[in-house]
Amino acid sequence: MKGISKFIKYLLIIAICIMCLIPFYVLLVLALNSPERVFYEGNIFVPDFCWQNFIDAWSKSKIGMAMLNSAIITAGTLGLTIMTGGLAGYAIARHNTRYNKFVFGLLLSCMMIPGIINTVPLYTLMRKINAVNTLWGMILVCSTLALPSAVFIYATFIRALPKELDEAAALDGCTGFSTFWRVIFPAIKPATASFIILNGFGIWNNYAQAVFFLQSRSKQNIPQALSVFFQQFGGAKWHLMASTAVIAVIPVIIIFLVFQKQFIQGLTDGALKG
Amino acid sequence: MKKKRINWAQFLSLPALILFGVFFVYPLLKGIGMSMTNWDGMGEAKFVGLKNFVDFFSDERAMHDIKTTLIFAIGSAVLLNLVGLGYAFLMNSKFRGKSIARVIIYLPAIISPLIMGYIWYFLLQPGRGFLYHAFSQLGLPDPIGNWMSSYPSALAVLVLVNVWQFAGMTMIIYLAGLQSISSDVLEAALIDGASPWQRFAHVTLPLLMPAIRINVVTNIIGSLSVFDVIMSLTEGGPGYSTESLSIYIMRMCYGSRTGYSTAVAMILFLIILIPVLISMRLTRAKD
Repeated sequence: MKGISKFIKYLLIIAICIMCLIPFYVLLVLALNSPERVFYEGNIFVPDFCWQNFIDAWSKSKIGMAMLNSAIITAGTLGLTIMTGGLAGYAIARHNTRYNKFVFGLLLSCMMIPGIINTVPLYTLMRKINAVNTLWGMILVCSTLALPSAVFIYATFIRALPKELDEAAALDGCTGFSTFWRVIFPAIKPATASFIILNGFGIWNNYAQAVFFLQSRSKQNIPQALSVFFQQFGGAKWHLMASTAVIAVIPVIIIFLVFQKQFIQGLTDGALKG
Repeated sequence: MKKKRINWAQFLSLPALILFGVFFVYPLLKGIGMSMTNWDGMGEAKFVGLKNFVDFFSDERAMHDIKTTLIFAIGSAVLLNLVGLGYAFLMNSKFRGKSIARVIIYLPAIISPLIMGYIWYFLLQPGRGFLYHAFSQLGLPDPIGNWMSSYPSALAVLVLVNVWQFAGMTMIIYLAGLQSISSDVLEAALIDGASPWQRFAHVTLPLLMPAIRINVVTNIIGSLSVFDVIMSLTEGGPGYSTESLSIYIMRMCYGSRTGYSTAVAMILFLIILIPVLISMRLTRAKD
């Protein structure tokens, strides 16, 4: 009886895993099929291993530039939100004044509002300050969307730190900012990790804002570049579309696999604290 | 007498406040004003009162988009939680390869939903996709038919793809919830003679409430603003039938109906506010 239920459990888990992996496998097959191959010829589960596709896709799709743009946007957004959000979380955790209560309340109440709600008026503002089709403009947009989550995580983690840390730093002559930067920030690396894990992929994958703010070809991020490239073909040349998609998802998958332990841990911590 | 000193360190939160105020709160407030104009994005804006809102509620396409958005959000939330909870129960025990299985099940959630939509399009395109050819090679009938030509099947596919992609995320949170339940409580119930169902309904489920709340609320709110997967999988088709409110906002904005599109955004905001307020109330009740 126990053996059978164990067997069924394994079977179910294997079936679920296969279901999760099949789309990736099909994508890989399509990406490796030769351009001449009509889709239903031969065994469709075995590709032609036409590696040339990746070279063609790379040169035709501008995906390389889009990846660089996505990397700059992601790094810039994370840097800006960690800096401003960390400082704000510190101020909120240590100086619970009326002003900071207001800041925290404002950010928390906006935490769940998706970006699309204010994208149109934001667009007119961005156009006024010439920030449309610039990477720094996109960094600002993405930062405001990630900021509430950063402040929330930092405030929660810093509250759990003993106040003696601050007092010791003050005795050593640290001011507010240097206390945060030299003492507090290094002590809450898990908070930073948790924040990056919860928000990093979302920024990297952003499309709903990129559609508005990154229209020029040289400034596209990955999803925007891919959608433009796919619309160009209108359903033809699946081998090129698939190999571009493979190139686009590989960095994300590698980062996820390398950091998967910290990733799942950070996700669990962040989720249950929120 | 000591002069009251201003505590300057409290203002370390000022950079965040300025950033958020200028690029989030200000546009949000400006949007309220814009939603009452007939602005086309270029020329002069004229105040038209609540006309945009009246137009919205008398527009068939807009009403249909509300329906699609709500069905998508509620359908996704229900299925995501059932599937995620099922996965979590299955994974909440010791077995070989557990961490690998967890990584595999979570993997789809890290990919851009836009790209995931394209990948599923390769698989599911009627009469051309991978699934169609795989089945016909095996001599089996077409399992999906022309799902893109009818509204119910197109919407169902969108919900299922969304559930497929994010079930792993829901699972991780339920797993954390399950692992935080101490085995003592369950053993005590076992000693008291509780049946497996009683243990689930009266011990596990109540203790899982925080995780359920987090999952349901984040899934509903996330799905209400769905954009990417619909853009790549159906482009809102057939016709405009699977268009979500987010896509409608973008299309109206590009269609030079800027004022109107901000009015639609305000309505979407009010819709999203309902689950947000419910979750805040629940959190407060808990505390």
